[in-house]
Amino acid sequence: MKILVGVKRVVDYAVKVRVAQGTVELANVKQSMNPFCEIAVEEAVRLKESKIAKEVVALSIGPKQCTETLRTALAMGCDRGIHIQTDLRTDYMELQPLAIAKMFQQIIEQKENPDLILLGKQGIDSDCGQVGPMLAGLLQCPQVTFAAKVESHDSGFLVERETDAGTESIHIQTLPAVITCDLRLNEPRYATLPNIMKAKKKPVETILAETMGIDLTPRNQVLQVIEPPPRKDGIKVADVDALIEKLKNEAKVLA
Amino acid sequence: MLLTTRFIRPRSKQLVLSRRFRSTTPLSTLWNPTSEHAALRATLRSFVAQEVEPQARTFNEQEQFNVPLFRKLADLGLLGLTVPEIEYGGTGWTEFTATAVCAVHEELSYSDPALCLSYLAHSLLLINNLSVNASPEQKARFLPAACDGTHIGGMCMSEPQAGTDVLGMQTKAVQDGDYHWRLTGTKLWITNGTLDGQDTGDLFLVYARTGPGKTDITQFVVEKGMEGFRLGQKINNKLGMRASMTAELVFDQVRIPNENIVGTVNGATLCMMRNLEIERLGLAAMSVGIARRCIDEMKAYALERTAFGAKNLFEFGQIQRLIAESYAEYMAGRSYVYAVANALNLSTHGNGLDADGTKLFCASMAKTVADRAIQVLGGNGYTGEYNVERLWRDAKLMEIGGGTNESHHKNMSRDLRKMGSTRLD
Repeated sequence: MKILVGVKRVVDYAVKVRVAQGTVELANVKQSMNPFCEIAVEEAVRLKESKIAKEVVALSIGPKQCTETLRTALAMGCDRGIHIQTDLRTDYMELQPLAIAKMFQQIIEQKENPDLILLGKQGIDSDCGQVGPMLAGLLQCPQVTFAAKVESHDSGFLVERETDAGTESIHIQTLPAVITCDLRLNEPRYATLPNIMKAKKKPVETILAETMGIDLTPRNQVLQVIEPPPRKDGIKVADVDALIEKLKNEAKVLA
Repeated sequence: MLLTTRFIRPRSKQLVLSRRFRSTTPLSTLWNPTSEHAALRATLRSFVAQEVEPQARTFNEQEQFNVPLFRKLADLGLLGLTVPEIEYGGTGWTEFTATAVCAVHEELSYSDPALCLSYLAHSLLLINNLSVNASPEQKARFLPAACDGTHIGGMCMSEPQAGTDVLGMQTKAVQDGDYHWRLTGTKLWITNGTLDGQDTGDLFLVYARTGPGKTDITQFVVEKGMEGFRLGQKINNKLGMRASMTAELVFDQVRIPNENIVGTVNGATLCMMRNLEIERLGLAAMSVGIARRCIDEMKAYALERTAFGAKNLFEFGQIQRLIAESYAEYMAGRSYVYAVANALNLSTHGNGLDADGTKLFCASMAKTVADRAIQVLGGNGYTGEYNVERLWRDAKLMEIGGGTNESHHKNMSRDLRKMGSTRLD
C-alpha cells in the first residue's frame, strides 16, 4: 500500500501573530510543520512500521523553505518528498483550499496513485478544514474527517471519527480514500538525530506550481483581517443575585 | 483568518517558552550551517519544551538526577553524537559535528543546565574521549552501552588537592604482574560519579600517575563493581547544577586489566589534549543557552509588567540598558562559539586558544546576563518560580568547572606568548 501525506508549512503554533498592512505579518516569523500534519505523518509512518503500508510519500506546497518541512517528514520516517514550489501565500490570502486540492488531485491521479491519502484536519493558519473533503470530492472517493483512530480492516480501514456529539465508527470499504487526522489520533515522534541524517539521502522532487496547468486564482476574496478586540477584564460580584442580574441585563445570556 | 490561540497542542504546557522569533539575517547560517542542523534544533526545542522544562525546577530543588529523562536523550541519538561508527552506537552525524554538539548543549541548557552538565560529562568527557583515543576492541566493548544510555558515567581528573594543577594529581597506578595494575587514590567533583547517591556511576575514564616523570599519566577505564572502587560521597548543597550528581570517588587498590588502558602507558596527556577543545566549546555553548533563556525571560517580563503608569518596563532606560547590553554580549558569545565550532575538526587538536577563549568569555557573560535578568524581574526574579535564580546559580559553575577562568588565562597567555611579536590576523 502506498500512502500520500500532506504536510503544510505554517506559522509556528506558539507565535503571537500580528496584523500589518491589512494582512497577517509573516516576515521574520518562525514557521514549522502544521501540528495536524505532524499527526498525519506519524500515523502514516506507524502504518508503514506495522507493514500495512510499503511506501509513504510526503507532499508540501509552498515556498522553497518547504523543503525543511519535508526534511522533518522524512526524518520522521517518510520515504520521499514532493515539493510543489510557489511563492503564493498558503494561509488563505492567495492560495486557497480548492486550488490546493486540485494540485493534490493532479499528483494523485497522474503521478503517485496512492491507496490512502492522510491529511491534517485543518491548517492552523487558515483553519479551513476544506482540502480533505474537497479532495475526496474531486477524486470521487470515500472520506473520513477528524479521525481519532485508524485501523486496517478487511481491504479498507475502520476509522473512529470525532464529532461534537460523540465518536462515530466508520468502515472505509474501498480505496483510495482520504482521511483527515485529529488531535487524539496519536502523539507524533521526535525526529531523532540518526533519522535526520538518514533523511539527507531521501529524494525530494520539486515541481513548479505554475507548470501544473491548474487555475490557482482564489475563488474567495479576503475583505479584511483584524486582530480580535482585546478581552475586557472580568469582574467579581458580591452574591448570586448580583451574578444573575448581570447575566440577564449586561451579558444578556439569560432570558 | 488569524491563528486561533484556542488551539492547544496536547503536549506543550509552556507557551511562554516557545515564543520564537527567527532572525532571517545571514547569522542564522552561523548557528545552523546545514538544514540538518536546523532540523536538529527544531527537534531539540520540541523535546526540551515538552520533556525537559517541566522537570527542571523540581530536580534542582531535590538535588536528584533524572535518570529516565537522561535515557530519553539516548533515544534521540544524542549520546553518541561524536562517534563516527554506527556499529558502536554512533549517531552517524557527518557534517559540522562540533556545531551540532554546541547546538545540543545550548538547547538543553535553555531549560536545564544541570541535565546538560551530566550529558556533557557522559557524551564529551567519556564517550568522545573513548571514540578518539580507544582501540577498536575497547570501543566495541564500552561504547554501545554508553551510547544507548544503559551505562552512565564520566571522567575523573580532579582530586581534593589538585584541580587546575592537573599534573599535581596523586592518584597512582602500579603494575601488578604482567597483566594488571592497581589503582589507588581519590577523585573529586566527578559529574555522574553517582546516579542515585548510593553507589558509583557505571563507567569512568580515570587519570593516574604511572611513572616518575611529571607527565607520566595513564588513562584507565574503571567499571562499576570493580573491587575497591566505591563512592566516597555525593557532594550535596552545591550552589547550582543541583540536578546533576557530583561525587567523590575512591579507588582502593582497584585491580585493572591492561585491556582497560586507553591510549598508551604514560601517554594520557595526549588523550587530554585531544578532548579539551570540544569540552570547552560544549561548556561555552551551555553558557550561551543560559544567556538566551535569561534574555527571553527579561523580555517577556518587561513586556508585561507595568509601573508608574508606563506601558511596560521597556519604557525605562535602566531596563533598556540591562536588556540591550545582555543581547549584544550574548550575540558576541554565541557568534564566537559557533565560528569556532564550525571550523573545528574533532580529530585534530592544537587550536586551544579559541576554545579557551569562548569558555572564558561566555562563562562570565552568562553569569552577568543571568544577574541582569534577576534585576529586571526584581522581587520575582529572586524566587524559584521565575527560574532566573536557578539559571544564575547554574551559570556560575562555568567559571570554575571544566577549567577555571584562571586556567584559561594561563593557557591562553601561553599560546599568545608563543606567537611572539607576530601580529594577529
